[in-house]
Amino acid sequence: MTEGLAVLLAVFVALMLLDAPIAFVIGIATVMAAWALGYGDVLISVARDMGNGLDSFALLAIPFFILAGDLMGAGGLAGRLIDFAAVFLGRFRGGLAMVNTLTCMLFGAISGSAAAAVSSVGGTLIPEMNRKGYPKDFNIALTATAATTGLLIPPSNVMIVYAVVASNVSISALFIAGVIPGIVVGLLIMGVALIVSRRNGYGGEQEHAAGEIKRSALVCTWRALPSLLLVVFVLGGILSGWFTPTEASAVAVLWAFLLAVVIYREVPIKMLPRLAVGSARTTGIVMLLVAVSQAMSGLLTEEQVPKFVSEALLGFSSNPLMILLTINIILLVVGTFMDMTPAVLVFTPIFLPVAVGIGIDPVHFGMILIANLCIGLCTPPVGTCLFLGCSVGKSNIARVSVSMLPFYGAMFIGLMLITYWPALSLWLPKLLGVMK
Amino acid sequence: MWNHIKRITATSLGWVAIAVFIVLTADVLLGVFSRKILGDQVRWTEELARFLLVWISFLGGAIAYLDDKHLGVDLLVDRINPAAQRLARIVTHALVFAFALAVMGIGGTQLVIDRFDSGQVLSALQINKAWFYLAVPVSGYVISLFAIGNVIALLAGATDIVNPESNDGEVPS
Repeated sequence: MTEGLAVLLAVFVALMLLDAPIAFVIGIATVMAAWALGYGDVLISVARDMGNGLDSFALLAIPFFILAGDLMGAGGLAGRLIDFAAVFLGRFRGGLAMVNTLTCMLFGAISGSAAAAVSSVGGTLIPEMNRKGYPKDFNIALTATAATTGLLIPPSNVMIVYAVVASNVSISALFIAGVIPGIVVGLLIMGVALIVSRRNGYGGEQEHAAGEIKRSALVCTWRALPSLLLVVFVLGGILSGWFTPTEASAVAVLWAFLLAVVIYREVPIKMLPRLAVGSARTTGIVMLLVAVSQAMSGLLTEEQVPKFVSEALLGFSSNPLMILLTINIILLVVGTFMDMTPAVLVFTPIFLPVAVGIGIDPVHFGMILIANLCIGLCTPPVGTCLFLGCSVGKSNIARVSVSMLPFYGAMFIGLMLITYWPALSLWLPKLLGVMK
Repeated sequence: MWNHIKRITATSLGWVAIAVFIVLTADVLLGVFSRKILGDQVRWTEELARFLLVWISFLGGAIAYLDDKHLGVDLLVDRINPAAQRLARIVTHALVFAFALAVMGIGGTQLVIDRFDSGQVLSALQINKAWFYLAVPVSGYVISLFAIGNVIALLAGATDIVNPESNDGEVPS
């Protein structure tokens, strides 16, 4: 067993360093390890595992939420959400920082993509904040971190990925569980942004964000409402038992289509094919990863790797607090160089059994995993949100990383709260009856 | 010529993906409608949805490869000299070629043949499960074709592979 796993690990690391696409890295490492372990019919069984790995109605929510998010994001969603946030929060000192955070949270939840939140919200608000006397690197750091909260606030594709690899975890429970942790992390980021802005006098006298909005609070809310309703439809539909999460995602596509093409008329029909192909491509990236990961986790389970890791961790310490801390530290390191979806796919099968073994609810563990890997999206050397923020805001990673420090603090406090306070995640889904 | 073939392939895959998206959405909505409004869920909607999911996933995976959008870790390669960088790219695309051809293509074809021989049919759709698995080798052959094309282009002196038609994509996070 050990040689086989050594092969798996060695091939994995070597190919990752070559910048090979991770989906293929996982596939090749699995095939090599299976050969080293003397399995028969490797090619055909990996192909079968890849096909079967996607044979799930639950996974279907992923392409739908991607398509709905692309349809929503293509129009003026960012602008309407900014107006909505600004009319309530913009009048205060440091208000634009709060507006940025709230807009990123809403945009991330509706579009389901932290990257889209960075480019759409950041594209408008970073230059705006620059003009109002906030330093550029601070604005980029704030946008990049705030955008990740959308991954905890439902609907969230990474939760579906987690639910499918974790098996027997309810997507509805995960969605509802993410609401409070997402808001808490958002509020922590907002608080840090406010403290930093006020202490350093960012914004200051020049800020009159609310004054520039010509519309009243009522009008701004009315204009943002149809987009916000997407989240309401999805969660309401699931909670009332009308839809499964997958059906809710199809309804979200229909609603997003109606908004983009009929109601707001911001997406011309001519643009739709291109948009749909983009969504299919994003689907392909995520789903190919899911497919090969299913093949790999089949092999890992066959070789009892989770049991092995579990015993090793439990031998190191039997204190649940220490084990959670250890898992968190490993994941933080992993997150710095691996994107969220592959990290969830690779590490869920390994760590979830350990967590369950020390009495952690799988829904709670999902929140820990996602909140943890959100930090990795904002750290060098590989951090999608940080990189995108730097390119949108035109700065470099070294400079922005310094401005990131207080926000890393906020995210880390959020992670610790989520890790060691299970009720933060589990209270709401239990109250609403989506989990026992 | 090569770029022309690549563009035609990407466009055709794109149109198939669009068609699948439309049918998928209609199918799942029909499932909800029939259950909630008509009181009796149409039997085949869920099976058709899973069937189309596997197709859009593997076709999307091929489109992503054509557009060079699959997620990687550019930790090291961006920091080494151009010659070594090119070598790394050649090895990478060759590995993608090997996996796509051997596992998805050849392994997948064998899988499809086995399934046709076994004659197992999907219960509601009444079609052979082989049609479901067929998405794997189709995607595998498309990817391997363009992977070997990339390897040849790189060996012939190209420094990087960029699809001329590729629009700037979003990163799925």
